[in-house]
Amino acid sequence: MNGIVVGNTLRTSWKQILYWGLGLGVLGLYIDFIAMSPDIISGYADLFKSMPPAMLQAFGASDIALFTSAEGWIVTIFVSEAAIFLSVFAVMAGLNITANDEQSGVMDVILSLPISRSAYLLERWIGYALIGLGIVLLCALITVAGIIGMNVDAPHDVILKSILNLYPATLLVMTVTCLLATALRRRAVAIGASAAFVVVSYLFNVIGASASGAIADLMETVSYFSYINGEAFVIGAYDPVDSVVMLVAILFGFAISLKMFVSRDIGV
Amino acid sequence: MASESVLEIRGLTKTYGSGKRQTLALNQLDLSVNRGEIFGYLGPNGAGKTTTIRLLLDLIRPSSGSARIFGLDTRADSVEIHRRIGFLPGELSLWEGRTGDQIIHYVASVRGDSRGIAKQAGELAEQLDLDTSKRVRDLSSGNKRKLGLVIAMMHSPELLILDEPTGGLDPLVQQTFHEMMDDYRAKGRTVFLSSHVLSEVQAICDRVGILRDGELKAVESVEKITNVEFNWVDVTFRDAVPAGLQRQLESLLTISDVSTNGARVRMRMAGDFDPLLRAISSGYVEMLHVEEPSLEEIFLAFYSGDEEKTE
Repeated sequence: MNGIVVGNTLRTSWKQILYWGLGLGVLGLYIDFIAMSPDIISGYADLFKSMPPAMLQAFGASDIALFTSAEGWIVTIFVSEAAIFLSVFAVMAGLNITANDEQSGVMDVILSLPISRSAYLLERWIGYALIGLGIVLLCALITVAGIIGMNVDAPHDVILKSILNLYPATLLVMTVTCLLATALRRRAVAIGASAAFVVVSYLFNVIGASASGAIADLMETVSYFSYINGEAFVIGAYDPVDSVVMLVAILFGFAISLKMFVSRDIGV
Repeated sequence: MASESVLEIRGLTKTYGSGKRQTLALNQLDLSVNRGEIFGYLGPNGAGKTTTIRLLLDLIRPSSGSARIFGLDTRADSVEIHRRIGFLPGELSLWEGRTGDQIIHYVASVRGDSRGIAKQAGELAEQLDLDTSKRVRDLSSGNKRKLGLVIAMMHSPELLILDEPTGGLDPLVQQTFHEMMDDYRAKGRTVFLSSHVLSEVQAICDRVGILRDGELKAVESVEKITNVEFNWVDVTFRDAVPAGLQRQLESLLTISDVSTNGARVRMRMAGDFDPLLRAISSGYVEMLHVEEPSLEEIFLAFYSGDEEKTE
């Protein structure tokens, strides 16, 4: 492993940082703009009050009180929406790690070069992990710059931390997609399975958080959306264990995809 | 020629699928290729040529058996082997949005000597008349093939593995390719190339392995294969086939399977043309067409005795 593949991945795909980062940054600026006006936020709060808890959860908030502050508004709305957009990016990135090249036949050329399958997979994963980091950093910086520029009364560190906390979930979805692509072999099947993973996770989080009981708790526990939890930074309830759980899941998923990719036939 | 083996295959078998859907792609392949030779791996489509090559490159894993290249195991030592070989896939896919130069630079970087290799790539591209500044998506299939050859050869590998290398190349470039292979052999390097075109193998190979239905049927020198060669000849007369010509042709030892269709006579001919030319001179010949036999026909001719027994 010498970083050549990481460098090549960044060289060919760095524009994704701009496209996705700027796109999400603009969304952040729009939400900052709304946060400038307490009247608009309270209007939204009134709207949410009339909704059932499941609907509120669908917007990423478990407590209507969050909408009484600008940071509560920004974190709740931005993080929940950005989490969905970043999941889409992560599925695409996960497919780019191996599936697209394998489907097109380029993988035959790559794996005839003096690089091991494990090194190749790891370097591709690192390359796209760095691109994901670039996207999250860029959108976080733009959103925080918007707060400063628009003079919104919200603590920058809380906003920054809550947005950066999207990164582990992005990596998890990317890794799960990579795993599905190495296991299922067919790109189209991997896309379907990854999309199902994202949608089911989202629904589990919404249903699990708005219902009660052991099954609801389990649904919430297995949903990666529940570990994003932007509001924890606003109310000072962030639990590092959540990040550790995500990290373990990422490492576990990557280890399985590595094992599968190394041991199976390519392009069959 | 040195007799040191570069490639040793023992009992290599590959099956795809399982249960009732299981298909045997390659069955108990035993083969050796010596250093400094150009070995032609001949077989019709679906015979198992590409499967063999993909096994050698560790892209797919054998169901049983093993292969060694430079004395190294193709599974355990694949990285070291790949450092010393060049490969051109039968169906070459490259990054469509990137230029030839970018791909060459990337591949050279992975190989670890980008400057030296890129220089060599430039010389090869010039030899093949290839513009490497164009994006892959803008290249014709023949030019993509040339780029594939440059990538396979630019680091001067000890062993070249080429899967149907000249498909899509025009005759002039094919000639250049043949000269490049001759140069390779002269430098003591080895080439393992698959093909279903007999004339290509005849032109450049020292030995030929004939594969059919996943089984290696024979390994022979090119000369021996050439000895069983025959051609299909079509003669079209302006008016009608001269009276008695069919009987006259059938009496010639070198001609068989004579059939007539209107003003056209078709026959299978082995040996010199002179007896045929003398026989047909009684009519006005409008066209004479010579067709190379298919590999299957060569195979059947070569092993006609065995075939008859099995049938």
